[in-house]
Amino acid sequence: MDKIAYIDNKPFVMKKDETIISFIRRYYGKDSVPTLCDAPNLDPFGACRVCSVDVAMNKEGKTKTVASCHTPLAEGMHIYPNSKNVKRLRKNIIELVLTDHPLDCLTCEVNGNCELQDVAASVGIRKVRYPEGANHLDRQKDNSHPYMVSDLSKCINCYRCVRACDEVQGELVLNMAGRGFDSRIIKGADVSFFESDCVSCGACAQACPTSAISDAFESKSVKQAEVTRTVCTYCGVGCNLDVSVVSGEILSIQAPYDAEVNQGHTCLKGRFAFKFYDHPERLRSPLIKRNGEFEEVSWEEAYDYIANKLTSYKEKFGADSIAGISSSRCTNEENYLMQKFIRAVIGTNNIDGCARVCHSPTALGMQRTFGTGAATNSIKDLKYTDCIMVIGANPTDAHPVTGAKLKQHAMSGKMTIVIDPRRTEIARYADHHLALRPGTNVAVLNMMIYYIIEAGLADMTFIENRTEGYEDYLKEIQALDIDKMESVSGVDRNDVKAAAIAYASAPNAMSFHGLGVTEHSQGTFTVMQIADLALLTGNIGRRGVGVNPLRGQNNVQGSADMGVQPHQGAGYMDITKPDVIKKYEEFYGCKLPGHVGYKIPEMFDAALEGKLKAIWIIGEDVVQTDPNTKKVIKALESTDLVVVQELFMTETAKYADVVLPGASFLEKSGTFTNGERRVQQVNKVVEPVGNTKPDGQIIVDIMNKMGYKQADYTAEGTLSEVAQIVPFFEGIVWEELGKNGKQWPVAKDGTDTEILHTVDFKRGKGKFEFHDFKETEELVQHSEKYPYILTTNRELEHYNCGAMTRRTSNVEILTEDVLLIHPEDALENGIADSDMVCVESPRGKVDIKAKVTDEVKKGVLSTTFHFPEIMVNIITSDVHDTEALCPEYKVVAVKIRKSKGKYKLEQNQ
Amino acid sequence: MSKNLSELAGRKGKGLTNNLFERMGKLAEESGAPSVEDLDKLADEFLIGTANTYGTTTFYDFLKPENKGKKVYVCNGSTCLTAGTQDKLKKDLSQHFSEEEIGHMCCLGRCHENASFHYDGKNYSAKSTDEIEALIKGDKSQNKDNYAVNSYGNKILTLDFPGVDAYYKVFADILKRDSAQVLEDIKTSGIRGRGGAGFPMGLKLEFCRKVENETKFIVCNADEGDPGAFSDRYLLEERPHSVLFGMLVSGFVTHAAHGVLYIRGEYPESVDIVHQAIQELRDAKLIGSNILGSGFNFEFKVIKAQGSYICGEETALINSIEGQRPEVRVRPPYPAVQGLFNKPTVVNNVETLATLHYILSNGGAAYKAFGTEKSTGTKLLSLDGKFNKPGIYEVEMGTPLSTVVNELGEGFSVPCKALHIGGPLGGLVPVSKIDDLQISFESFSDNGFLLGHAGIIGIPEDYPMVAYLEHLFKFGADESCGKCFPCRLGTTRAHEMLNKAQNEGYKIDRTLFDDLLHTLEIGSLCAHGGGLPLPVRNALQYFDEELKAYFSN
Repeated sequence: MDKIAYIDNKPFVMKKDETIISFIRRYYGKDSVPTLCDAPNLDPFGACRVCSVDVAMNKEGKTKTVASCHTPLAEGMHIYPNSKNVKRLRKNIIELVLTDHPLDCLTCEVNGNCELQDVAASVGIRKVRYPEGANHLDRQKDNSHPYMVSDLSKCINCYRCVRACDEVQGELVLNMAGRGFDSRIIKGADVSFFESDCVSCGACAQACPTSAISDAFESKSVKQAEVTRTVCTYCGVGCNLDVSVVSGEILSIQAPYDAEVNQGHTCLKGRFAFKFYDHPERLRSPLIKRNGEFEEVSWEEAYDYIANKLTSYKEKFGADSIAGISSSRCTNEENYLMQKFIRAVIGTNNIDGCARVCHSPTALGMQRTFGTGAATNSIKDLKYTDCIMVIGANPTDAHPVTGAKLKQHAMSGKMTIVIDPRRTEIARYADHHLALRPGTNVAVLNMMIYYIIEAGLADMTFIENRTEGYEDYLKEIQALDIDKMESVSGVDRNDVKAAAIAYASAPNAMSFHGLGVTEHSQGTFTVMQIADLALLTGNIGRRGVGVNPLRGQNNVQGSADMGVQPHQGAGYMDITKPDVIKKYEEFYGCKLPGHVGYKIPEMFDAALEGKLKAIWIIGEDVVQTDPNTKKVIKALESTDLVVVQELFMTETAKYADVVLPGASFLEKSGTFTNGERRVQQVNKVVEPVGNTKPDGQIIVDIMNKMGYKQADYTAEGTLSEVAQIVPFFEGIVWEELGKNGKQWPVAKDGTDTEILHTVDFKRGKGKFEFHDFKETEELVQHSEKYPYILTTNRELEHYNCGAMTRRTSNVEILTEDVLLIHPEDALENGIADSDMVCVESPRGKVDIKAKVTDEVKKGVLSTTFHFPEIMVNIITSDVHDTEALCPEYKVVAVKIRKSKGKYKLEQNQ
Repeated sequence: MSKNLSELAGRKGKGLTNNLFERMGKLAEESGAPSVEDLDKLADEFLIGTANTYGTTTFYDFLKPENKGKKVYVCNGSTCLTAGTQDKLKKDLSQHFSEEEIGHMCCLGRCHENASFHYDGKNYSAKSTDEIEALIKGDKSQNKDNYAVNSYGNKILTLDFPGVDAYYKVFADILKRDSAQVLEDIKTSGIRGRGGAGFPMGLKLEFCRKVENETKFIVCNADEGDPGAFSDRYLLEERPHSVLFGMLVSGFVTHAAHGVLYIRGEYPESVDIVHQAIQELRDAKLIGSNILGSGFNFEFKVIKAQGSYICGEETALINSIEGQRPEVRVRPPYPAVQGLFNKPTVVNNVETLATLHYILSNGGAAYKAFGTEKSTGTKLLSLDGKFNKPGIYEVEMGTPLSTVVNELGEGFSVPCKALHIGGPLGGLVPVSKIDDLQISFESFSDNGFLLGHAGIIGIPEDYPMVAYLEHLFKFGADESCGKCFPCRLGTTRAHEMLNKAQNEGYKIDRTLFDDLLHTLEIGSLCAHGGGLPLPVRNALQYFDEELKAYFSN
């Protein structure tokens, strides 16, 4: 039986655990109850009291005034939301607020978009009757930060910013100081935004009901802006963004509250780092290099030039002399077109993408164990899990919105296990942090598996019903040399055991992993072990469990889904199987090759061997970001034709023969698939700048130029072609994706899938497969001469090669790559904070500024490769994952010495 | 409140063992306020923000940066104020201290003698200029104070203490009983919370008992901040075991193993004495693990507060122990479900806890036999220096107020026009109403007053009522946590209006004033803002003649 409560004596059906405010708003709309301190993504707080209503336990009975935001609804309750008493209260509260608020609305940023203004208007304030008294109108503005701005004279002490910083971002940078009438918002110990530990996520600014906290873009001002909802390009989380445009120019970005992925939150890259799109350095015209110089040419000329060359190579050297690298920053449709172009028009399977250098072991490893190379669960499942295990990932920097959710989990005291050589932000809060030596994931995970079995915590029912290969696996695990594993990993066995038992004993445990798992010589095996852990403990196929790779670039999942891999076509079908070849041939209407093509590292090898004549690279800066830079450069130099589709003149584009200017994500439509298999609409916000084109259209143009009839690039049209060939896209229709997209597989009737493997695995049974730890060749060969281990990572402010983020104000916040070094190592080498350090590997040397910190263990160094000034990849190794050929960025044998540093020298001169 | 901060402050190895709030207090010991560097390190250790440690310390009188360098604190509570002793005291003190070295504390609980101040960790009442001089020179013997302790009718709280062994004999018996039965006894007694709200203690304990959690807390609210009340100070200093006993039993019936006594920093002697009493329990093996072989574990923790009246509000108090800003929390969740460090918590006032020894020695029914139907048992009253015989009086509920004033207090030492009963949020009883009231929750509320904590302050005839109201709002504004809009803004605006009315010829608009009181009354988040209008409305009703000159209509 429905339970009933009454609003103004009319009966309405209640929901379970509902507050009065949500009850009233559910029936009478969002504006039916005014409030100043309540916000959709924050816990009830009860500060402003403006949402007060009268309640009685029977009709016209004795009423009590309560704040509706935090008072639970009770059966039979009679609510009078607009009684005379309540109206009087609201009006008087607002009058009090206005005694300490500047009345300069007309010149205020949020004029017309101010919640205080709205509430004041709705309660009908005409004048402030109080005599002039103490106030805080003389508070100074804080313009110290490139993005965050505060003017606390406008603050109404609603605490929304403080709560957003705590409950949403978990950063605890903001608080109130003082007490009573003089209490005020502070950042850190009452410092400026810039001096504080603020991570510039902007949650506080978005939460602020006035302009007390805002941003440099005046995001909350209401010029006559057109708002377009799209998806962020900066990582695999897939935040939805509301982009405001005035007169064709992007004004600002806010995060929509109704986004299932990010619920009104996003990070500084998503919210603020958009100004690259019309940066003066954007490539605006096709370029052909002649006599070592780039010349601007027309699209036609560029296309003719390329088409002629490609046709001739194809004729002279065969289709396999041509290769393509597609981009995980591009849409699904564009990735589909690129692989189709390479396969159907060129006639080779030499197609790969940047997933090769990040999550290729994830796709392969999970396919081997489960049959599907994608996250098994959804980020939403964090609400239902009891335990998280974060392996080789630093999500608060690299996947900030999911990172914030993981951090909330860890802060809330729920079981958190971190396996990472570095003390990452989440590791600080973890119950167990296994700070292993880089490169020993397999050793530690095997130990965990050993201890779970030893403790009798293996889920035998699950193992019997849903897995295979356990018996052999068990034998191998039981024979494990724990002494050796302990000594190679450098982690105390008792710590490993405790973490293992914590994971296995949790009713529901989720694992998350990143590039610290995949970018290793044993990357694929590590992924398989993580999957094994889930099988072993039955943590798969329901809410709050699973194996959840944190995808790096925005569309890494999608590019693989679309067939940007040399061994699988669109929809992961094996291109060596005759029936598959036939299926694709029929669909594409042409002959297709049946042998596997080059992976990216093999492309470079082929180039060096003189076998590769042409390479086409979209949106990937291989020179700056692929390992062993010198080798990459040599490979490009050895290739006759290098075509690069780019936004900027990147390090790679400099080596191109033809540069084609692509449109950014803000200038085109399509779909991105986030790390939880969610296919979401990317919507064009502004027209492409200059003479640029969407990457998809460029591919279509060249396909047509080379004689293949391909319809023009449109999101709807290309997606419908994709849906016809990719099985798990069967039910995806552009118009039906809605605001929040759909998670594949999507059935024909449009039903999508939040959780995989609920009944069966794609491959039938989950497969246990043992692999022992093997020291990477990098260390076997070089550790004697190069005794330190350098591992590479990411910083929050920059995205990959930084081509985009370095062209925004993010560069004012994080200005350079630095080398993290343990205090003891620093001392032993006479290195002080901010000294330049020469880091040398067998491949070469670079100078990096030292940051002395115990975030890394002794013997381990860590840095980033966001800045071309450093080019860290000069020293990274040529060792790859044995299975997926993902480069081992995470273990580089190096030696160090204090150096004056060439850049420092230049500065001093 | 922040759930995250509660959790982080309560982590393993932190919580009560390495208590964040206590650490802040320690950092302030040397100079009066912690340095930013120290707060930064502390934040790092507790995995919180510097904004948190800094924001918290700036809230408290004895931690905030302005407290740096303060050496002596003059009481500015209502009774010292209306007694008119503090101007001379300040003058005397300024012979020895600079202006910057003299701070304020609001009520040292020496309401019986007044002229009170705090110096070098101890409280004093300045009986003469010479005594101050002697004190500064090192004679600390004047620290001890004397006040009458008497009872009217049966004694429960003021019974003589027979020594630890005899006193805790009943505890040994209780440990052998079914805790559900013990709880029944408490419920039968009808004991209602003595802190002001009057909530039945048995129910509170039962709520907490029903919540399943390995960790639970019994918190003793010994933050007796009501100026004019010193009955908790009496219990803490003269009958500390009655409080500890009450906490032990509360722990037993709720399955809580941790007891926290949150004691006012303004009562340094209470802190010392309670520590001693806990040591006595430890020596007698009445605390710790598996007490007397019963399987029941219990440990005490004493937290010294740092100067903030709002910490007497239970959720603010919980925030305070956690090292958060002591701002009032919304309910639900109720502390019994999610309190200290997000764990089930019972917060009881000193006097409430002190009743349990009698209840469990004699049975709930025996206790219930005293007092009135709705207010069972006895109540401690504090009579201030405006009485001929100031002190602590235990009376049975239902005793006429006139008996208290005339027989126990032996009448006024100065002519008084009103009694302010139940703290700053209690009612202002004109002397003409004394004969109409009995000491009980219901008699006071039926007549438009509030029994509250039952501190009784005489308002001298020559003390202007408008000045007293201004004082009340000044107190209200000074002590407002600032979280809810009505209280943060309203107390200040009311204070300003009353001040202007006395000093600038400003006439207060009655409609506006009434709107403001209405806003505070029904709009405030807690009883601080919600309660202040009561004495003001009483004053407007009974002292209109005196006040109307300050109003325009």
